[in-house]
Amino acid sequence: MHLPLLNIIDTVRQLGWGGAFELLRNGIVLGSVYALIALGYTMVYGILKLLNFAHGDIYMVGAFLGYGVLSILGGPLAPTIAMVPLILLMFLGGMLGSGVLGVVVERFAYRPLRNAPRIAPLISALGVSFFLANSALLLTHGERFNYAMYQLGGDPNTGLPGPLNQPAFSVAGRPVTVVQVLVVSTSIALMIALTLLVSRTRLGKAMRATSYDREAASMMGIDTDRVIASTFFIGSVLAGAAGVMFGLYIGETYYLMGFLAGLKAFTAAVVGGIGSIPGAMVGGLLIGVTEAYAAGYVGGQWSDVAVFGILILFMLLRPSGLFGAKTIQKV
Amino acid sequence: MSEPERPAAPNASDAAGRPKIGVDEWVASAEERHERSRGLGGLVSRGWEGSPAEAKLIVFVALASTLPFWMNEGELFSYGLYTLLYALLALGLNIVVGFAGLLDLGYVAFYGFGAYGYALFSSNHYGLHWQAEASIPLIVLGTAAVGLILGLASRRLLGDYLAIVTLFFAQAFVAFVNNSNPKVAGEGLTGGPNGIPGVDPLNFFGFKLHSTKQYYFFLLIVFSLAAVGLYFLNNSRTGRAWRALREDPLAAEAMSIPVNRLKILAFMFGAGTAGLTGTIFAAIQTGVVAGNFDVALLITIYAIVILGGLGSIAGVLFGAIVINVSTQFLAPSNDHPELKRWLFYGAILLIAAKIRPWSRTAAVFVGTAAFGFVVHAIASGISSDWTNGTVVDAGSAASAIRNWVIVPSGHTGFQTWAYIVLVAAIVVTSQLKGWWRMAALIPTLYWVAVVWENVLVQQSAVTALILFGVLLIALMQARPQGLLGTARVEIV
Amino acid sequence: MKKLSIVAMLGVLAVLATAATGASSATNALQAPTGSAGLANALVTCGTTRTIGIAYPATGPAASIGQQQFRWAQFFQTRWNKAHPKDKVKFVQGDTKLPDTAAALAVAHQFASNSSILGLVGPAGSQEVQDTVAVFKSAGLAVVSGSATRVLLTRSVGGDQRETPAGYFFRTVPNDGQQGDRVASYIASKLKKKRVYIIDDQESYSQGLADQVESNLKAKSGYTVGRDHVAQTVSDFSSVITRIPSNTQIVYIPWQLPPKAQLFYTQLRAAGKTATVFGSDGTFAPGTFTGAGSYVSAFPVDFNSKEIKAYRAAHGGQDEAFGLPTYSAAIVNAMAIMKACKNGTASRAEVRTNVKNIKVPKAASLLGFPVQFLSKNKGKQQGPGDMGGTADFAIFKIGAGGKYTRVG
Repeated sequence: MHLPLLNIIDTVRQLGWGGAFELLRNGIVLGSVYALIALGYTMVYGILKLLNFAHGDIYMVGAFLGYGVLSILGGPLAPTIAMVPLILLMFLGGMLGSGVLGVVVERFAYRPLRNAPRIAPLISALGVSFFLANSALLLTHGERFNYAMYQLGGDPNTGLPGPLNQPAFSVAGRPVTVVQVLVVSTSIALMIALTLLVSRTRLGKAMRATSYDREAASMMGIDTDRVIASTFFIGSVLAGAAGVMFGLYIGETYYLMGFLAGLKAFTAAVVGGIGSIPGAMVGGLLIGVTEAYAAGYVGGQWSDVAVFGILILFMLLRPSGLFGAKTIQKV
Repeated sequence: MSEPERPAAPNASDAAGRPKIGVDEWVASAEERHERSRGLGGLVSRGWEGSPAEAKLIVFVALASTLPFWMNEGELFSYGLYTLLYALLALGLNIVVGFAGLLDLGYVAFYGFGAYGYALFSSNHYGLHWQAEASIPLIVLGTAAVGLILGLASRRLLGDYLAIVTLFFAQAFVAFVNNSNPKVAGEGLTGGPNGIPGVDPLNFFGFKLHSTKQYYFFLLIVFSLAAVGLYFLNNSRTGRAWRALREDPLAAEAMSIPVNRLKILAFMFGAGTAGLTGTIFAAIQTGVVAGNFDVALLITIYAIVILGGLGSIAGVLFGAIVINVSTQFLAPSNDHPELKRWLFYGAILLIAAKIRPWSRTAAVFVGTAAFGFVVHAIASGISSDWTNGTVVDAGSAASAIRNWVIVPSGHTGFQTWAYIVLVAAIVVTSQLKGWWRMAALIPTLYWVAVVWENVLVQQSAVTALILFGVLLIALMQARPQGLLGTARVEIV
Repeated sequence: MKKLSIVAMLGVLAVLATAATGASSATNALQAPTGSAGLANALVTCGTTRTIGIAYPATGPAASIGQQQFRWAQFFQTRWNKAHPKDKVKFVQGDTKLPDTAAALAVAHQFASNSSILGLVGPAGSQEVQDTVAVFKSAGLAVVSGSATRVLLTRSVGGDQRETPAGYFFRTVPNDGQQGDRVASYIASKLKKKRVYIIDDQESYSQGLADQVESNLKAKSGYTVGRDHVAQTVSDFSSVITRIPSNTQIVYIPWQLPPKAQLFYTQLRAAGKTATVFGSDGTFAPGTFTGAGSYVSAFPVDFNSKEIKAYRAAHGGQDEAFGLPTYSAAIVNAMAIMKACKNGTASRAEVRTNVKNIKVPKAASLLGFPVQFLSKNKGKQQGPGDMGGTADFAIFKIGAGGKYTRVG
């Protein structure tokens, strides 16, 4: 008779400190990607009380756009420009394209339903998700594209890693590669930029006002349409950045990648307290780390069940999420 | 000291986007409703609203019973049987979401529970071959018990937090069934990714159901019974209490309605219905696989419930009919490509025919036709490989289409950028006004035809899903409260 | 009064139901709801274009491999129609949305009722075949699948019965048992490595292969065999890689998706582990899975054959091997129908008999061996419907620059 708990303890001991650090590292890197997507979810929810299920597909489009830029500029094994401007251009392409797409989606699918019951834009969001994901399937014929970033800038014949995958530094004997540092630092930079935007600028103030009370904000002279469009733009830009980052780190783009990532990011946003920006960030990291440790210690068969079990327990202990606002229910 | 800067006056937004401050939407739309109740449409809707519930049910059953006599077996299975199956499943979700207002994203787990439960008791897996009258009540009660447990979780969680926990539950179920598959009594309990094959058909007291027609009638009976039961439930004290809970939980609690008990009851009823549907599904498929209970199915059932109008039983049925029939019709295995083509063009024409006055409509149509011929001439002038591709599945109209629409052969990137250009063109056209819009509409309409012939028809399965997504968006904008829902005023 | 009318209506319904069901004779537990029994022997006028149904996952999580299969089928169609202008074939597609078998079931019923369909290619997944073969059987169609590799479909194993009725299931690809035996014997006798770690992707195909190799190796002495699972949707294998013991010599990944295998290889090397990666025919994709030093088990495809070169040219220089058996399945159907149509009419029963006795020469099948089907059990892994003759797997090694060379 199997005793799964003993197996876990064995595995923990076997992996040791090095293994524990590796899992933490993996969790943080992937968690930052989830956090960026979750930010878009949480911002839109804060303003419109809408769960934008199409957000994950905007992330997917960002990843594909980044791949498109890479192909136009020669492809991963023979890029025509240097590495740094190449990566910058990929980010630019992915972020701008996703931002524009987010604004267009809002204009067509959500704005006409601004005053409809809350559940109608949900179905509209699902329709948009169907449309975006299957358009990607139509155009890519279901193929899985590989950024092949492993070899980018390196020699394809030797099979050795290119500069992106060289170790930047080591902890407990385990390497942290350049691309991992890039992903985490870009995430942090974007999150700081967002926090500054929301707390220091006029637009941020308008966004906060609109999220508290849309009617009152409009009466105070704020152009709520423009504020909402800006929110979607910013959220989609972050999702696009996350898509390009995922491509750089893992390398694979597939038309369904948005669906799964969107689900995880939705989880992260709610676990952190939906509507709260720091909540989305911490929620994303929490999900990433939980997944990494569950996959590492519990392993294959039970890791998914373990992740969901932990999350259910967490939600039961903190029913409004980590940073969830304690709303006063008005009668 | 300078005065604080005044914020600029906001631009006038569309009437639809402006927040309706201080306006009671129901009162404001009284005129509109009065208008709508005239004419043929008004006659039908008044007849519908005036007739008693039993009459509606009898009419439905009578109409549904005629289906096997004019549909062949494959059509009966995909249009009739699956519609009823989804409708029954959606009835259960309607209790949780529509009656009680709880956002339950884990509903398919109950469906799966019922299906796997039946498969464990009536298959070769453990060699038990219980008859349906023994296993089904047991499974339904068991699923309701699981619903009870999940309902207990709902006592602490509100709104979207309940949604996420129920979603976790559903995903944990699928992960458990597909990956964990613990060994119980020598066999993997749930069969892993292969599931449990060889499930017995429904066997009531020795009478086995084994043809599509039999299952169809059986489902019709079960659905009618369930609908009747829910109708009585809805009109009972419990139903009224659920409605109060849905509209305003805090006020309901203040009126001493036992909110927690009601939530758990809603979960139990929903779970029981899903469990029942699951057992029937497992028998129809003679097998159960983890992939049957994915999030895509949850989305379909939610679309059915919301499209039909939350809380309305007849609405659930209409929603199921609309969604399932359109999905199955668009699917490539429905082998009528020419019909689909004419329907598509017809729909485009209908949309274009909404332009008024008629002179403008005529101008647009003539312009599009002329534009097409001109482009075709130029393209074939540049190089013959722009127009000598093959038109797929066109039948009799192939040559006519070939002379109007450019069908290139050999240009590999054409599909991708043609599609993107089309989406961009639609976006741009909708943003323009007046004559500019007419001018932009002409090439856009032509390009729709080009994309249809070159891209969409080639991959009919994917096109079906794209059109389904567009349908959902359009339906929600046309009627946000659902087909048979009532327009509610939400006090935020 | 209300309740009375409802009871009356239900009574009518019950009478209707009993009347409509007619005689129920079959008591076979495997029988699924059917009604198109008359079509099995109905004669269809052949004309110059015949219809074959093709059931594959065009959308859903398996779309990348499903669409590959369809592309190969289309490639076959163009070439066949050019070579046989009086015996053309056309396809009716059915989207089976693997792994949701409910869609496959609907497709099965629709194909069964479509009287013009004479032959069938697919369904692709073993679970789909399990659930739909009864429907096809009652309509007289034989499943000719290019990727359903579960051993139980053709052979009773241990206490489990064979899952398909004889004469109604054929596969143009050797099954998991054969492939597993081949891989295990190669690892044991040629590579001679004893510390193996097996990771499956939690799909039916992968688990079957992994189980087979694991049990074969464990039966030998001195082998350390670790086993793990990873979901097909995962692209970040870092946690799984962390769990692999550092002294592992071979990591066996019988996965369905070559891009994942490539990702795994690069992440494994990035983590500093030097184990050799061993893939299966699902990961056989020159151009995508290029990890130097890896091994792959696959059919002995001749990459220099005319057809493969033509396919490569038409698809941007990329080789796609997953769809090859679907090409063969299409040939089997086309040839069987052509033979049955010699006298102008054909029935599904005729086509089925022709499929059973088919012989596709090696050059035409593209798989590296001729296609013919067994009618009796053979060895320990094969049963009626499996490929007979010399059909077996070859082992390829990937060299520098991603070149595939056959080594076993």
